[in-house]
Amino acid sequence: MPSKDKVLEEVRTENIDIEAALDPAEPDGVFRDSRECAALALQSGGTSLLLSPPTPRPKKG
Amino acid sequence: MEQSSTSALLQGTVLDLASDVVSALRSGDHVRAGGTLTGGGAGEGVARAAVRVLGADTLLPTALLRVPPDPGQLAVFKDAVAAHPPRDDAAPAVVWSHWAMARALRRLEQPLTDPLADDPGAEPGAGWLDDAGWQLLTHQLAVLAPLALPGEECAVTRAARRRPVDVARGFVRAVRRRDWQQAAGAGRWLTLLDGVPDSLGLEAGLDFVRLMGGSDPRVALQLEAARLMPAGVLL
Repeated sequence: MPSKDKVLEEVRTENIDIEAALDPAEPDGVFRDSRECAALALQSGGTSLLLSPPTPRPKKG
Repeated sequence: MEQSSTSALLQGTVLDLASDVVSALRSGDHVRAGGTLTGGGAGEGVARAAVRVLGADTLLPTALLRVPPDPGQLAVFKDAVAAHPPRDDAAPAVVWSHWAMARALRRLEQPLTDPLADDPGAEPGAGWLDDAGWQLLTHQLAVLAPLALPGEECAVTRAARRRPVDVARGFVRAVRRRDWQQAAGAGRWLTLLDGVPDSLGLEAGLDFVRLMGGSDPRVALQLEAARLMPAGVLL
């Protein structure tokens, strides 16, 4: 006769949704605030241009 | 109720397992990599499922440091591959993560003398990556970060190689969205790709990811992998 632990283990295993864990949806984005941007800029010595907010560009037409 | 407690148990075991791998990558000790699996803390089925979720990275110390895997850990890994094949209607990332695990086992059996000699006909398709925008591409590559290995040759790595600027753009987006896991996975890919813009500041970016998200063992695992790549960044 299987032990109680063994039965519980089997129930747990059957309940596991592996596929959802393997292909998780992208979480909602939370954008960094400017204080952290500044910290990163200081830390990198100004080399990480792409980590800065994009430069505003005038619209054509 | 049961489902949520099971999910929490699985997530906790995945984190423990990832911590073991990080410890092993930092110390070169394969025993640490198998600690969660051989220590009896998690139930057999949950441990097997956790290995399936962490995927081929469970054997990352073997792939990168060439230390032999712990026999007990390897047995659970093989069980996980056998017990959790992708369903017929599984998403491509699920199919590929299973392929990566099988690939890791094949690498163990015919070691690293000829890592590119696998049968390419057995590969799943990767057309979904060619059609993907840069955001989805980066998300999917981060999910499939276990495939970002030196010398790996498959359709996913070829898709990544064709689009280094898109992956760099996705890395920046992930950092700005505070998605540390995606950022770390994308960063790991970028350490392997040619044509990454110097202006990205990958090293500083990965430092920042470590600072902000490195307490999550899954993030730390990707950062350690990036550090250990042949052209790895200094972290």
